[in-house]
Amino acid sequence: MHLRRFAFAGLIGTAAICAASSAFANDTLTVAGLGGNLQKDLSATLWQPAAAGAGVSISEETQDGIAAVRVQVQSGSPTWDVVHLGADECAVGGKEGLFEPLDYNVVKSDGFDKKAYGKDWIATNTYSVVLAWRTDAYKDKHPTSWKDFWDVKAFPGRRALSAYPQEMMEITLLGAGVAKDALYPLDTKLALERLKEIKPNISVWWSSGAQSAQILKDKEVDMMAIWGSRVASVIKDGAPVEFTYQDGLLGYGCMAILKGSKNVAAAQKFIAGVVSPEIQARIPEMMPYYGPSNSLAFKVGKFSPEVLAKSNMSPENVAKQTPIDTNWWRDNSELVREDYSLLMSN
Amino acid sequence: MSAAADEAPSLNVELLGADERRHRFAMFGLSVPALLLVALVLLAPFSWLTWLSLFDASGALSSENYARLLRPAYINSFLSTLEVSALVTGICVLLGYPVAYLLSQLSQRTAQILLVFIILPFWTSVLVRTYAWLVLLQREGIINTWLKQLGLISESLPLVNNLTGTVIGMVHVMLPFLILPLYSSMRAIDPVYLKAAANCGASPAQAFRQVFLPLSAPGLGAGGALTFVLCLGFYLTPALLGGGRVAMWSTQIADAVSKFANWGAASALSVALLVVTSLILLLMRWGVQRLGTSVGEH
Amino acid sequence: MTSGALSIRNVSKAFGAFRALDNVSVDIEPGEFLTLLGPSGSGKTTLLNVIAGFERPDSGSLMVDGVEFITRPPHKRDLGMVFQNYALFPHMDVFNNVAYPLKLRRREPADIRERVKQALDVVQMAHLSARRITELSGGQKQRVALARAIVFEPKLLLMDEPLSALDKNLREHMQIELKRLHDRLGMTTVYVTHDQQEALTMSNRIAVLRNGRIVQLDTPTNIYDRPNCHFVAGFMGETRMLPVSKTSNGYELAGRPLKLALPPSPVDEQWLVIRPERLGWQGDDERDNRIEGLVVDVVYRGDSHSISLKLPGDHEISIRRAPTESKPLPEPGQTLTLWLRPEASVLVQDSAS
Repeated sequence: MHLRRFAFAGLIGTAAICAASSAFANDTLTVAGLGGNLQKDLSATLWQPAAAGAGVSISEETQDGIAAVRVQVQSGSPTWDVVHLGADECAVGGKEGLFEPLDYNVVKSDGFDKKAYGKDWIATNTYSVVLAWRTDAYKDKHPTSWKDFWDVKAFPGRRALSAYPQEMMEITLLGAGVAKDALYPLDTKLALERLKEIKPNISVWWSSGAQSAQILKDKEVDMMAIWGSRVASVIKDGAPVEFTYQDGLLGYGCMAILKGSKNVAAAQKFIAGVVSPEIQARIPEMMPYYGPSNSLAFKVGKFSPEVLAKSNMSPENVAKQTPIDTNWWRDNSELVREDYSLLMSN
Repeated sequence: MSAAADEAPSLNVELLGADERRHRFAMFGLSVPALLLVALVLLAPFSWLTWLSLFDASGALSSENYARLLRPAYINSFLSTLEVSALVTGICVLLGYPVAYLLSQLSQRTAQILLVFIILPFWTSVLVRTYAWLVLLQREGIINTWLKQLGLISESLPLVNNLTGTVIGMVHVMLPFLILPLYSSMRAIDPVYLKAAANCGASPAQAFRQVFLPLSAPGLGAGGALTFVLCLGFYLTPALLGGGRVAMWSTQIADAVSKFANWGAASALSVALLVVTSLILLLMRWGVQRLGTSVGEH
Repeated sequence: MTSGALSIRNVSKAFGAFRALDNVSVDIEPGEFLTLLGPSGSGKTTLLNVIAGFERPDSGSLMVDGVEFITRPPHKRDLGMVFQNYALFPHMDVFNNVAYPLKLRRREPADIRERVKQALDVVQMAHLSARRITELSGGQKQRVALARAIVFEPKLLLMDEPLSALDKNLREHMQIELKRLHDRLGMTTVYVTHDQQEALTMSNRIAVLRNGRIVQLDTPTNIYDRPNCHFVAGFMGETRMLPVSKTSNGYELAGRPLKLALPPSPVDEQWLVIRPERLGWQGDDERDNRIEGLVVDVVYRGDSHSISLKLPGDHEISIRRAPTESKPLPEPGQTLTLWLRPEASVLVQDSAS
């Protein structure tokens, strides 16, 4: 009896010491990313150096999007502190109040596009949706813009677009001649009309990155809208494929701190590191075809012309592209999605 | 003597009653694991799903998730799901009935060997089989390449990333589900009925149509219903071979969960699918019973 | 109206090494009731299937009213058939089962109704014409199957052990009914059974089959009283066969010369056919053959006593002693003397096969 009580007290004591040590010394942040190669690259390029700089250690988890985040927050005591998501999901999560506000005294937003951060989230990297084509299908004259994508007379051949409307609506409007800075709010009516026109020439509406790469590599289509990172791997595999950043769409990956996290202060420091120009400057070399979300990265770092040509965020390439307005998608995505899926399958 | 005779009717009544109850309880006990399993993996998730479907994204009680189902995009995908399922089931019946018939007429031993070939695809994952179809059917795929080499076509045929490819892939996956129940029901048909029909004056074709077909109708109904219902919820093959053109209900559910994190919407979609599936099963059961009794009376 | 004469000539059928039918020939008269009787594997069902067209023989001829049927498909033979388990279509009711042959013959609906009613009247099933098949008893199914077989007035009616699935009382009742029906309709009938009692009750003639051959073809009386071989004698009734020995001027049993009504064939190995009901309690040593047996036991059966006897050569036989019998009831261990009259004393020899 006495012995048992003594043992119990000992247990409590040990637990208290453990708790105290984790509070004072080296915090462990749990970061949940989207898994796969992307998370591996992000971790090596951004997260590890940022954690080291902030004096914390990180443990990584994977998740599959905003639904999982919602479940975590609703549980009241999330096991993740920081999540990496697509920017549209960050925008939705922010609207639903799933995140702690970011302290912009700690996290510096200098060098960021206004569309690249919100009150409680900030972009950590960029990706591009670009126009890619088979060089064996367009030998003499290849398409150079979305206008050419819609010009089936001058550029016959099979085309592919994504099965989800984000970026595709923008592409359509750019192809219809809408000016880059006049894209938002999107003219959905015009976009759907123009999509209906091109529909007979769309062979595949792809629904995953792997599928998009496969149809280009296997010559199922001759020209398509595809993620820059995916087309890069197709080219690396030796397929006769080229792409252009001209008229490309810039999207963001983002980070946010889960509401109810017990390590908010450390998480703020960690995110500040991730978006700092110095660490962002690692992206062009370590993650070609992705880009830094902080344009100051190109001021801090020195890059070879080859690296700059590949990076979607080099000053030259970024000028050709348009950033996505995640807030517009946050507010309009559901109805657009329905119209888009109706159009695809009808 | 007379006292014993009076007592005899109530002898051991309580003991025997208790014995009977114990026996029944033991029999009930045997079914407890199965009942628990059903409750755990079927009733509980379904109740939870139904519960979720009653709340909107903000967590308030609303009919929003069901109202959404009436919007054109959902009605369209619902109708297209029914169409694709009916088409696939129809083709499966056309292809599967003769196979099942042939198997049922062979010796038990030969039939069992051939059945292995029908069951064989079950041992390969649907994903692998679906990708195999992609390799065969695509623009630069094996079939189009051969046809072009043989000079039968000059331009590749659009065999995949559309309804054609989806139906081919689904029929391949579904065929065993139709053949197996059909075959076993055909096996159970006594060949003497066909002799009797011939003796009555029925040609082989008449005997088949007026006797064999109605007698195999329950098996055909069971196989057809199974195939149709499996098609209704089929996700993988339409998603991979449809090229985005084949709007299946299952795709909507998957998107609602994994792409758009809308559990309420996904739940409402699932509940609707379940309700429709149950209705169709009931309808088919009723239809098969009618078919079984009406064919042959003409 | 054709008459329904059936002529089977030299029909043979082998399943691998097994000869199911071995050169079978038989002529069946118009209106005759012929029974194919034999143990299982004797070829009787195969022969019926050949007639119906379900089995293609290896050789032979099958003439119905002078027309060769041997290659005619079963649905063009116009033969009525009653199957062992009736083979009524479970998805049709009684009416539609019986109407089916008429519908296939494209008769007018009114005609069909009339004929179906008549056929069901004949088998006393008209009141159940709307019943589902699954709702019928065995005897009722039997009647419906019969109605379906006769409704189109076939020249020939084939029956494959039609009563074997019925219980004993019903079977005996149906035997009489079938017999009366045959007398009334006059259809040529080929009836397959393994039940000798059934064959004796119903047939004009019986063909006894063994190993794919007809061993005896004759009237029931002759088949029973004058079996032409050991096999036929043994197949009919409760029969014991006692070996007899040949002497210079006849045969003898247990040292006594046999008195025979018919001159025996001059074969060495012969058996005396003994059936219990032919053994008399009274007899005359001068006139009749004496049979002695050792009483094994005596059992009371109400209407009679059943006495088990051990005959010479270790054959046991059970005889009845009616209450009217004047001789005293024997006791176990006694020797009982019985008598066989010369007309009832039949000698048989081994059949050829």
